[in-house]
Formats: sequence, C-alpha cells, structure tokens
Amino acid sequence: MEFTTQLLYPIDQILLALMIFSIMFGMGASLTIDDFKTVMRYPRGILIGFLSQFGLMPFFAYGLAIFLNLPPAYAIAIILIGCLPGGTTSNMFAYFARGSVALSIAMTTASTVMALLMMPILLEFYTSEFTNALSAELQTAGTGTEFVIPTGNIISSLILVLVPVAMGMFLRAKSQVWAKTAEDTAGFMGIIVIIYLIGTAFARHSGLMLQTPINIYIAAICVGLLGFLFGFWMSRLFKLSPIFQRAISLETGIQNGPIAFAIILLSFAEPIQSQMLWLAILYSTFIVITSSFITLYYRRVGKFDYEIYKNTTIHNKLFGDEYVSHYPDGFLPKRIEHDPSQGFTPSQIREKK
Amino acid sequence: MENRIVAENMAQLFQRAAEQYGDLPAFATRIKELEWEPVSFRQLYERGLNLATGLIDLGVKANDHVGLFGDNRFEWILSDCGIQLCGAADVPRGRDVTDAELIYIINHAEIKIAFAETAQLANRIINLKKELPTLKKIILHEESDSKAKNVLNITEVEEIGKKLRDKGDVQAESRMKAINPEDLFTLIYTSGTTGKPKGVMLSHENIMSQMKVIPIELNCTDRVLSILPVWHIFERVFEVYTIACGVCTYYTSIRTLGDDLKNVEPTFMGSAPRLWESLHQRILKRVKEAHPMRRLLFHTAYFLSKQYKSSLYFMFNRKLKTEKESSLLRIVQLPFHALRWLVVTPFYGFFNVAVLEPIRLSAGGSLKATVSGGGALPNEIDRFFNYIGIPVLEGYGMTETSPVIAVRTEYQLVIGTVGPIVEETEVRIVDLETGDTLYPDRSHPENGRGIRGEIHVKGPQVMQGYYKEKELTSNTIRNGWLRTGDLGMITFNNCLKILGRSKSTIVLLSGENLEPEPIEMRLTQSTLVEHCMVVGQDKKFIGALIVPDLGELRAKGIKAETLAEASESEEAQKLIRAEIKKVISPSNGFKRHELIQEFELLPETFKNGVELTSLFKMKRHIIQDKYADRIEAMYTNESTGGK
Repeated sequence: MEFTTQLLYPIDQILLALMIFSIMFGMGASLTIDDFKTVMRYPRGILIGFLSQFGLMPFFAYGLAIFLNLPPAYAIAIILIGCLPGGTTSNMFAYFARGSVALSIAMTTASTVMALLMMPILLEFYTSEFTNALSAELQTAGTGTEFVIPTGNIISSLILVLVPVAMGMFLRAKSQVWAKTAEDTAGFMGIIVIIYLIGTAFARHSGLMLQTPINIYIAAICVGLLGFLFGFWMSRLFKLSPIFQRAISLETGIQNGPIAFAIILLSFAEPIQSQMLWLAILYSTFIVITSSFITLYYRRVGKFDYEIYKNTTIHNKLFGDEYVSHYPDGFLPKRIEHDPSQGFTPSQIREKK
Repeated sequence: MENRIVAENMAQLFQRAAEQYGDLPAFATRIKELEWEPVSFRQLYERGLNLATGLIDLGVKANDHVGLFGDNRFEWILSDCGIQLCGAADVPRGRDVTDAELIYIINHAEIKIAFAETAQLANRIINLKKELPTLKKIILHEESDSKAKNVLNITEVEEIGKKLRDKGDVQAESRMKAINPEDLFTLIYTSGTTGKPKGVMLSHENIMSQMKVIPIELNCTDRVLSILPVWHIFERVFEVYTIACGVCTYYTSIRTLGDDLKNVEPTFMGSAPRLWESLHQRILKRVKEAHPMRRLLFHTAYFLSKQYKSSLYFMFNRKLKTEKESSLLRIVQLPFHALRWLVVTPFYGFFNVAVLEPIRLSAGGSLKATVSGGGALPNEIDRFFNYIGIPVLEGYGMTETSPVIAVRTEYQLVIGTVGPIVEETEVRIVDLETGDTLYPDRSHPENGRGIRGEIHVKGPQVMQGYYKEKELTSNTIRNGWLRTGDLGMITFNNCLKILGRSKSTIVLLSGENLEPEPIEMRLTQSTLVEHCMVVGQDKKFIGALIVPDLGELRAKGIKAETLAEASESEEAQKLIRAEIKKVISPSNGFKRHELIQEFELLPETFKNGVELTSLFKMKRHIIQDKYADRIEAMYTNESTGGK
C-alpha cells in the first residue's frame, strides 16, 4: 500500500502536536515526587515490569513483524511501538482493573526515564534488518540514499516530550486542583483528537481502511494483546500478587502512544512517515478498545482477591501494623492463601508463613 | 463467596458467628482518626456470655424486658448480646429520650434493669426514681468511678458473670437453648408522629426473616459504617445482618463522618434521605465553585450518564411505570434506545472513569450500594446518585414490620419506587373508603396495578402486636394483615410506589384531597428552604410553614443575623415567594389546588427530637400546635391570600 498524498495535512500536524503536548502535560500533572519514591518501594514489581516492558514487548513486536511479513516501514513502526514506555492511560486502566495503581504509576515513571537509554539500544538491535531492506528499496527506486535509524533525533524528541511532563509536574506541585483539571482536560482532548484524526484520515483517504492489508491490522491489535497476556503470565510465574499481575499486564500492553507520534513526526521523513503514523493511529485506536475489554475482565476475576487485599490493608491502617486478619478456614482461595502480599505489614506476612 | 449464617434466634446467631468468624473483627470503635479498636466475633460472644451470666445473677429472668438507653457504640451491641443470651428482650431508646418518655416506657414495659450510656443519663433516671417503682438497677456503658447506689459499670457485671462461669455456671447456655422463635427479642417504643409511645413487639422469628431480604450480599471482606441510631429498627437490622455475614461494623458520628468515609472506605451503609440531600448539595456546590472547564466536564459526564442510563433502564424494563405501556410503542422505541445506548457507551465510559469516579470517591469510594430508608428520597436526588453511579437502593418499611416490606435490588432498581415486595411477603392495596381489595384483584384491569390505595402487608416480618394494647393491635392487624397507614400503588413492572401517608392527607374546604409530602419534598430541594410543612386541612387553600436557609439568604444579600430577623425581612419574604411560585407551579406538574397561596417564615428551625423524629421526619401535630397562631394568621389575612 502506498500513500499517494500525505496522511496528515499541516493543520493536522499542529493539532497532533497540541494533543501530544497536552497529554504529556496531563501526565506530568498526575505525577508527584512521591511517585518516584514509590519506585523504590516495589523493587521486585518494577524489575519484572521492566523485563516485560523492555524485554518482552520489543521481542513480540519484532516477532510479529517477521511472522506477519510486514513491509519495512510498518515493521519499524511496530518495533518502535514495542519499545515505548508506558503512558498514564495505563494507570487509569489499572485502577479500574483493581490492579495496583501505585505500581502502575511507578512503572510509568521508571520506564519513561529508562526509555532515554533503552529505546535507542532496542531500536538499533531489532530494526537493523528492516532498515537494510528499506535502504535497498530506496536504492532500487533511485533516490540513492541510505536509511538509518535517526538515533540522535529520537533521543532529542524523547527529551522534548518530557518538557511538558516536567511542566505538568511543576503545576501539580503548585496546585492540585488545577493539575486535576489539566489531567482530565488532556484525557478529553486526547479522545477528541484521535477521533478527529481517524475521521479525517477516513474521509480524505476513503479507501485507506479497506486498502490496509489485514496483516497490518493484526499487528496493530496483537502487539497490545500479547503484552497483556505475557505481562500477566510472567508476573504470575514470578509469584507476584494478583493486583500486581493485573497492573503489570496492563502496563506492558498499553504504550505511550503520543510519544510514538512525536518521534515519528520529528525523526522520520517521507516516504515512510505516513505509513508509520498510520500504524501508530491504528494501534492507539485498538488499544483503547482491547484494554477496555481486558479491564472489564480483570475487574470481574479480580473482585474477590482485591476486596480481601483492601480489607486487610484497612485493618492494618486502622488497627495497627501488628494486627493480623484471620479469615475463616476455606474462605481464601488456594491461589492467594499463602500469598504474603495479601497482608501488607510484616506481622501479616509472618503469620501467613 | 456466600457464607451467611442462618440461625433461629439472636442468641444462636451470636454463637454461630463466634464459631464461624472467630478472630475477625466484628465491631470497631474510633479512638483517633487512624486508631480504631476492634472487637472480634469470639470476644463479643465471650463477653456477652459473661454479661448474660452477670445479668441472670442480678435477677433478669427469661423473657424479661431490659432497658437499653443509649446511642451507637460497642457497649450497646455488647449489652444487646448479653440480653439476648440470657433469653430476655431489650427495650431500646436513644440518649435523647425525654423524661416523660422514660417514665412511660419503664413503667409500661415493667423494666427492672436498664442500661444507660452515660452517667448523666443514669442521674436523670435516678432523679425520676419516685415515679419508677419497678426499676432496680442501672448499668452504665461508659466507665464511671463515682456512681450512685444501684448503678454498676458494665465491666463490673461482666466480672460477676466471669467469676460465676469460671466456677462452672452454664445458666446462660441453658437459657439460650430455651428460646422460642416467637419469643420477643426487642420491644421498640415508637414515638411516631402522633399520640403516646407504642411498644412494638418483635420476635426472633421476625428479625431472622429479614436476613433473606436485604438486597446486597456481604462477606468477611466488607466494611459497614454505622451512623443512624441503632435503637431504630432500620439500622438495627443491618447490625444483625453484618453479624450474620461476618462483616465488621465501624461506629462513626456526624462530626467525623467525612474522615471516616475516607479512612474506613465502607462497602455498605444504611442511610437516610437527609444524608443524601446534604451530600447532593455539597457535590453541587463544589461543582459550582470549580473551574469552568471542570464544570463543563461534569455536566457533560452527567448528561452522557443520563442518556446511557435512561436507555438502559428502558431496555431492561426498569423505568417507572405507573400507567400501562402499549407494547407496540415499546417495540417502536426499542431500536431507538438501543442505538442511543450504543452511541453513548464509549463516551460514557471515558467520562465515567475520568470525571464521575472522583466524585464517587468523595462519597466513600468502595460503596457497593446503600439502602436508604426512614423517609422518602426526593426524586431528583435519587436520580442524581444513580446517574453518577452510586446505586441508592430505596426501601420501604416500618418498625411494625421489622422493618423491610419492599426494597430495590440491583436488578430491579426502578427510580421513583421502593422496589419489588420482598420474599415470603404479600401486599394488598386497599380502597381507603370501602375497604375493598384493589390489588391483587382480577376484576380490575391488570390485576389492579396502577390503582392507589392503602398498603396492607402480611408476612413473617409482621410484629406480634403492640405491647399491652390489645385493641390497638386488633385495629392494626386483622387476619394477619397489617394496615400500614401509607398510600401506594403497584407499578406495571411490579414495584411498590409510595404516595404519602393516608393520615397526612389534607382535605381542603372544597373537598379536594392532596398529599403534602410531594409538595414539601419539591420545596425543600430549593437551596433557600431548609424545612417546610404544608397545611390547609378544612381551609380554602393550602399554606406553608417555611424555615429558610439563613446562609443562603445572606448569600443573596439579605442582612439578617438570625432566623427570627429573617422572618421579619420583607426582602426575604419576596425572595421566598418568588421561589415558591417558580417551584410549585403547574408547569412542574402541580394541580391548581396544590399551589401554595400563602406562607409564613418561622423564627427558628426544626430541632431533632422536638419537631423532628430521630430520622428527621416532621412531627406534624407538634409543629401544628406550636405554630397554631401563625397558621391561623395565614388564613385570616385574606387580603394577601390568593395572590
């Protein structure tokens, strides 16, 4: 599939830039310095989250690109998406999926910082064969240039999107009320702009949706789903508590879409920019739908263990750290019966052992 | 996970709860904001046994009546436990009980031993000693060192019992075995809104029947906040239910409610309309003061939720149906609602998550649902909370029916009704004048649905009768059917709709009847009006006694320091008159004779326990007597009437 015209008109680009700015600003507005400290409190969760975000996801993205035999531009885009840090949307989903919001926020924070280092390395590692293919393609087309991943540009665009995050954090430190407003407004604007972009893309390139080959759709949908699935199983394998499993699962699957847009717009040029953007748009659209369903599912299966966790934590909060909640025999399901994380304090952990 | 205890009587319930839930917390008392003291089910039962043995030693016989005067606290439930375990029945009443009530109740129920919450209350009782020939001993809830003769601390009684039990005393155990299902577990005196107190006799069987009808399933992971007076059957039934389910009850107070909601994060609580009214106003006020962007977000969210929910209610047959609905019309409308639902859902999803959830958090984020009772919930407030996603399950009942007759459930949440009739219970709608049954009756179309009349009820929850009031009992209960004195109808989706008190119906001089409640409810939703009572029996038109909201009047620029000053102010009069005209108008669905023609601003507010019952219901006759001259003034001043 070729883009005969540009996917985005200048006006769209401005809108997109505005959206990226406000969403990243909103993300900053939802963060506090304490969130960085929280990272230290969940070293195990963060480490496993890190493995699944920067270990599993890029690998799956690469695997999908190979397996579905994607054209180089799309392959690079899907790998780029796979390497992204988590976004604030995942925190909201984690909340509603009865997952650990603190871990989700901590993972978002940690991965956003780590992305500065990890993204260039991972991109270099996974995309080399596709960039070679792309260079070959460009050479046969006669343009004669060699395609390389613009590592420097990627790092500077990453830093650029962190500027509004810092501004948001500054606002948060000044006024919580305003920060909350900024956060919600950003979320609202995000939805409107995504709908607008899909709408206009559909209207202008009426055939675009139909022309897009099925394997591109599969890639856009599956990259998130694989992240959910393996994030969940990996943390389960490492015997993290259910609320952590759900948080890591969602955090792995849901990537920071706006950063992808920013990097593509700032670091890549035509002819592959439009193709990459199209995949990013498709990913951003489908991830909202799939994560909504996953969240509803987690919310249902996680109801019971979350209520136990919540009740136990409140017991410790109100009755003191030494208090141990003794549930009747057979009340706790086998899966969490000996799970130390169901109790938060040393006394509950000792007791369970 | 369902693990509710089924027991035959209260004593057995306490015992089984101790066996099943053991060391889990049963009740928690607040010491500081983040320091609470739990008491486990096992401790409660052990201490209850000691107390029961101590009570037996003090001379309490099986089926005796033991006074229990105090408000919500752990010692209250401990006393109740002790009383139940020795086979006696309690006679509960709040700390705000008046001297006259104390004399009447203690003598009428022949109380020999009474619990009193505070030393102050005990002293009040002692001062009435001459008029209380039966009363022998008072047991205090709070620890006190300097006590009068015949006054004991509750811990002292427990100590007596403990010593006896250590020596092998098992009297309490044998008392427990001898309890019959029809024995009384409580004798509740209702001051009601008229006349002298009546002793409602409720049996173990009565209260145990209620365990099946509470519309929400709870288990050991739930938390209940207790705020309504526990001596009232409505809160009491929840306390019993929480014991059956292994739930911990946390005692809170009006003063600390805000903090406690946040810290305890209750999953369930019994509530009164008053609580929702104040919460509603608080939320609206916060929205009003918020940044315009936030206000816009809120209104958008509320609008979307309204669209979403009303289509959902339509599709699942949960709309208020007071008239028969043509099935053809339904089929025509169905695709429209289905389409609207589909379109709105994704947007509703986002706004529900981003905007409505924080509002729900401010009302205690973990609430699964709440049952509201003890008065009608204004329609607008009812809708508001259901739209923002806090399911308020309004119920209907009375002390005489221990108390639930009907309650909304999660799946039959029809706003504007009190839900379907509970299991094993029958309801008849009876014509007030002829006494004929209107529902269920095959001779009426649709079996009599949609016709208004007096509600009569029959079922396992109906009381044994009024204590020592044979005639009153036989007037109230005939062949097992209890006359509730309330007006209602059965809707076309089988829910009960309450239409007011049959006794508060106002008949105008012209012979036209009207129910004051809907008018009052509408008017009190105005921020300007704190309380109001509609009057006009045998008069040409209706009038209203109004307690304005002083803060709101001052916010509108009226210079008044007190309500008395405000009631004199011409501007205030003008403001209220305009408000009445706006709210109680034909365009809001009021009939001509329901329009308020004249009103009086009252110089002081209605006080809890004086003009209001403990559940904030107006004692109409008291208010009528107190302001008789002002009511008369409204009708003699003909020149201003009818404007």
